[in-house]
Amino acid sequence: MREEFYKTLSSPIWWGTLAIAAIMPFVLSSYYVHILTLALVYVALASSWNIVGGMAGQISLAHSLFIGIGSMFSAALLLKLGINMWLGLVISAVISGILGAVIAWIDFRFQLGHLSFVLITLAFAEMGSIVVEGWDFLGGASGLLLPKDTGNFLAFQFGGGHGAFWMMLGLAAICVLVNVAILNSPLGYYLRTIRDNEKAAQAIGVNILRYKITAMVISAMLASVVGTAYVRYLTFADPYLLISPVITIEIVLFATVGGLGRAYGPALGALLLVPLGEILRGKLGSTLPGLHYFIYGIVVISVILVTPRGLLPLFERLWARWRGPAVAGKS
Amino acid sequence: MLEIDNLVAGYGGVPVLREINAKIAAGEIVGLLGANNAGKTTLINSLSGMVKPISGRILFLGEDISKLTPQARVELGIVQVPEGRLVFPEMSIRENLLLGGINAHARKHRPQQMEKVIGLFPRLGERLTQSAGSLSGGEQQMLAIGRGLMAEAKLLMLDEPSLGLSPLFVQYIFEIIDKLHADGLTILLVEQNLNLTLRHARRCYVLERGQVAAEGDAETVKNDPRTRSAYLGL
Repeated sequence: MREEFYKTLSSPIWWGTLAIAAIMPFVLSSYYVHILTLALVYVALASSWNIVGGMAGQISLAHSLFIGIGSMFSAALLLKLGINMWLGLVISAVISGILGAVIAWIDFRFQLGHLSFVLITLAFAEMGSIVVEGWDFLGGASGLLLPKDTGNFLAFQFGGGHGAFWMMLGLAAICVLVNVAILNSPLGYYLRTIRDNEKAAQAIGVNILRYKITAMVISAMLASVVGTAYVRYLTFADPYLLISPVITIEIVLFATVGGLGRAYGPALGALLLVPLGEILRGKLGSTLPGLHYFIYGIVVISVILVTPRGLLPLFERLWARWRGPAVAGKS
Repeated sequence: MLEIDNLVAGYGGVPVLREINAKIAAGEIVGLLGANNAGKTTLINSLSGMVKPISGRILFLGEDISKLTPQARVELGIVQVPEGRLVFPEMSIRENLLLGGINAHARKHRPQQMEKVIGLFPRLGERLTQSAGSLSGGEQQMLAIGRGLMAEAKLLMLDEPSLGLSPLFVQYIFEIIDKLHADGLTILLVEQNLNLTLRHARRCYVLERGQVAAEGDAETVKNDPRTRSAYLGL
């Protein structure tokens, strides 16, 4: 089962794509580099969410909590206690992991159905945003302003612009690779048995509690790390962006449009939809306010109607059809 | 091999099964009969650990297993083939079968076990890479049984294997069950189909409203007036 992962690791297409992506900052204007950086943030977030939401089929809306801890908490640690942001990243990731484990345990212990799980995780997310807005240590409602990014790597600074883009590229690549690794490992199979049918999973002896917790902890920790990197890029820790359940809804949307439970699906969704949203806003936002939301909504709805399982399966079908006659001709 | 001792079990503290006593000897094929709502599935789920007992004991090979988790019981060899087949539709037949043998005990022998299952169900062997969701109902039932066998079951519990199958497939599945029995596997057969079960099981228990209404060898149960009343509610 693991061969697929090593094949990916040694695949020239993978490294070629990464290399081409890495030279983008030299080719594109800073506006487009910014859009791509944002897209990579969401590639990383949607991919980390996919481990729980896609593979295990548990639609978690708690991920704003993990992103929020990674961003707001590590920012607060730096500003209020002077704790290095690298260390803050680790502390936040550990806290997120523990919280994720608690949520997974609650889900198992009380045998929550799909809808109850969605609502419970949403309640956790709402609680998180209320705590942040009411607690001055975390910046309260006005947020926190990080010191200027001077490119001091030891202080978790990447020099803005290009540096931030490369850092996000690396992080997004890691998140996608973790997806590939899990999907091709026993864990990935167990998660899919849980998604397909918990009862059948139990009948073959899958330890449901253990794997639900494992998936949630990995997912939560990744989301938290991405949160820390994101807030460093933004410089301003805005609670209404970083710990609002809206950010989770966006992630779920990207993952669904791209292809739930697939290694590259969420990445594809984010890479298409984030630039689309940003460019529509840039081009139309000033002429007719709200129009960009309208067009964006129509695009998303059309995709879901045409290919409910996401764009990746659609592309695969088109690719197979295009290759089909050639393969048949050979044999 | 299995001994159920005054078992009371149910959901949310409300008992469905009331003081069940039953025994299955090694190598036996035992039928569990009863109308809808008699408690058959609750009983089989208590044996596999999906329903926690309220009181009473379940002994397997002399050991009390009533507090063990479902996966620990699979490891011991108590394997359930759930009602409605419940294969993993998006995975291939090979992956479904391999997943049957993930418990620590069975994992080592997966290749040999796979050969055996394919020998038993050549139809599955012909389409190992096909997705399980594309199989017919009868083939899915074969796959579900094959997946159970992959776990190196000592006690195989089949929950309504004839449900929703064409008569031809029902006959085929029961021939397989006979074959497994002949090879020495202990089988608990949960069925609504009275005549079919009485033909294949040596001994039967008839459940009615959570209690054992009748028990004994197939002939006795067949002629017991309580069997009829359990089914017709008279």
